[in-house]
Amino acid sequence: MTRSLRSGWGVAPAAVMTAIGVYVPLLLLFRLSLCAPARGRGFYEPGSWTLQNYARLADPLVARTAAFTIVFGLTVAAVSVALGYASALFLYRLTERGQRIGLALLLLPKTAGLLATLFGIQYWLDRGLFAALIGEVYFVFPYSVLVLFAALRRIDPDWLGAARGLGASRWQIFRRIVLPLSRPALLVAFQLSALWGLGSFLGPLFLGEPRHSTLSVEFHRRAFEYGEWPLAAAEATLLLGLLLLAVVGLPSIARQPPRRTP
Amino acid sequence: MSFSPDSYLTPPLTRWSTLWYHQLATDPRWLGALEASLLIAVCTSVLSVLVATPAALAMHQWPAAPRRGLMLFVLLPALLPPTAMGCGLLPLFQRIGLWGTYHGLVLAHAILALPIAFLILQSAVDERLAHLEAIAAGLGASPRQVFWKITGPLLRPALATAAIVAFVLSLNESLVSLFLTTADNETLPALIWPQLRYAPTPVVAVASAVTTGLSLAALPFLVRRIVTR
Repeated sequence: MTRSLRSGWGVAPAAVMTAIGVYVPLLLLFRLSLCAPARGRGFYEPGSWTLQNYARLADPLVARTAAFTIVFGLTVAAVSVALGYASALFLYRLTERGQRIGLALLLLPKTAGLLATLFGIQYWLDRGLFAALIGEVYFVFPYSVLVLFAALRRIDPDWLGAARGLGASRWQIFRRIVLPLSRPALLVAFQLSALWGLGSFLGPLFLGEPRHSTLSVEFHRRAFEYGEWPLAAAEATLLLGLLLLAVVGLPSIARQPPRRTP
Repeated sequence: MSFSPDSYLTPPLTRWSTLWYHQLATDPRWLGALEASLLIAVCTSVLSVLVATPAALAMHQWPAAPRRGLMLFVLLPALLPPTAMGCGLLPLFQRIGLWGTYHGLVLAHAILALPIAFLILQSAVDERLAHLEAIAAGLGASPRQVFWKITGPLLRPALATAAIVAFVLSLNESLVSLFLTTADNETLPALIWPQLRYAPTPVVAVASAVTTGLSLAALPFLVRRIVTR
């Protein structure tokens, strides 16, 4: 049994499930965005091909939503990484028992579930942009902490000891050893947070005012309240396009070498 | 830094009472949703681990490039916004008749949990395992013996972790479920959602407390795994 599992066929169920469960629906979503809206009963007009949904994306409302999504998402990402890095550094310096307690506290809201967490935040903060931001950051930053904490643990402690022995102050150790070594992980954490941030749904929906809609909120509303599924699919595709940009574009921005040469 | 939100209920509950717990326990709609959530979570847990384990085991022997490709393929879905996933799954499920069914939800939750279960398991399948398996085979153990006596026990912590994570994930899953639940197959989060939005009652808090309690039980296991790697 082990041999057959190891030969490669063992991958089949997982690969098939992912392909059918994720990639096919994404393709279908894209296909749906090219359908015309239903003229009678139903969600859409099967078999139709049209670009009208994408034309409607140029609508100022959608454009504003997309712009807001980008700004909101990137802000969430930046705050999450900053907060995550600070938390990871703090955790790093604790004893193992302290780290265990710290991580438990960190993951606690995750086990409570998104809705319970929202419930709690709703109690403390009034509706508004700040609340929505805090809510999303609250959801997103634990992942940054995990990524950055793992990266910090990979730093060879001998180097830190050597630096200290050579007389470096704590700030110098941080600036010259820890920070540069953290940079790849910081980028990964930012990308991850950006992906979550751009897809923000629950935060803006429950904690923000109606004008603070992100693309996720918008296409959910379009689908369930207006019943315009093809347009919703087009908006969802737009969001996915933004995510793709974030994944592909961010590393190249970060890697830009200094322009000036003497 | 963090707090348990469900301990902060709306002001009327300054008087501690089990009134709302009683209401939860007697309202068939809530009970049905609770039962559904638990059942679905267990099935999701089993399914995702069953699918992820052979994949993790098989992948280990692959050369670097295909291995990285597979990892990207399987892990990518974890990064997609659940709302987009739900939006895409709904028409598909409708067409194959899974929309509004429990089976459909199990499948959907398993799809969501698979990348994470896979991630957990593949990090546990390492050189040591292959080495020990080879030794056992060399000493004359049949493939079946190798699996049950070496592979299985060594993977057990990772299997348990993956199963627990999948369970908690499914229990709390609200976003994709929102697209895929109807009156026929309500899960607890799906029931909480409109209540939270339009008519928050303390029953919502109670329901949240239930899922939180169940998930909290799993927390110590997970934390120990992360810190003592």
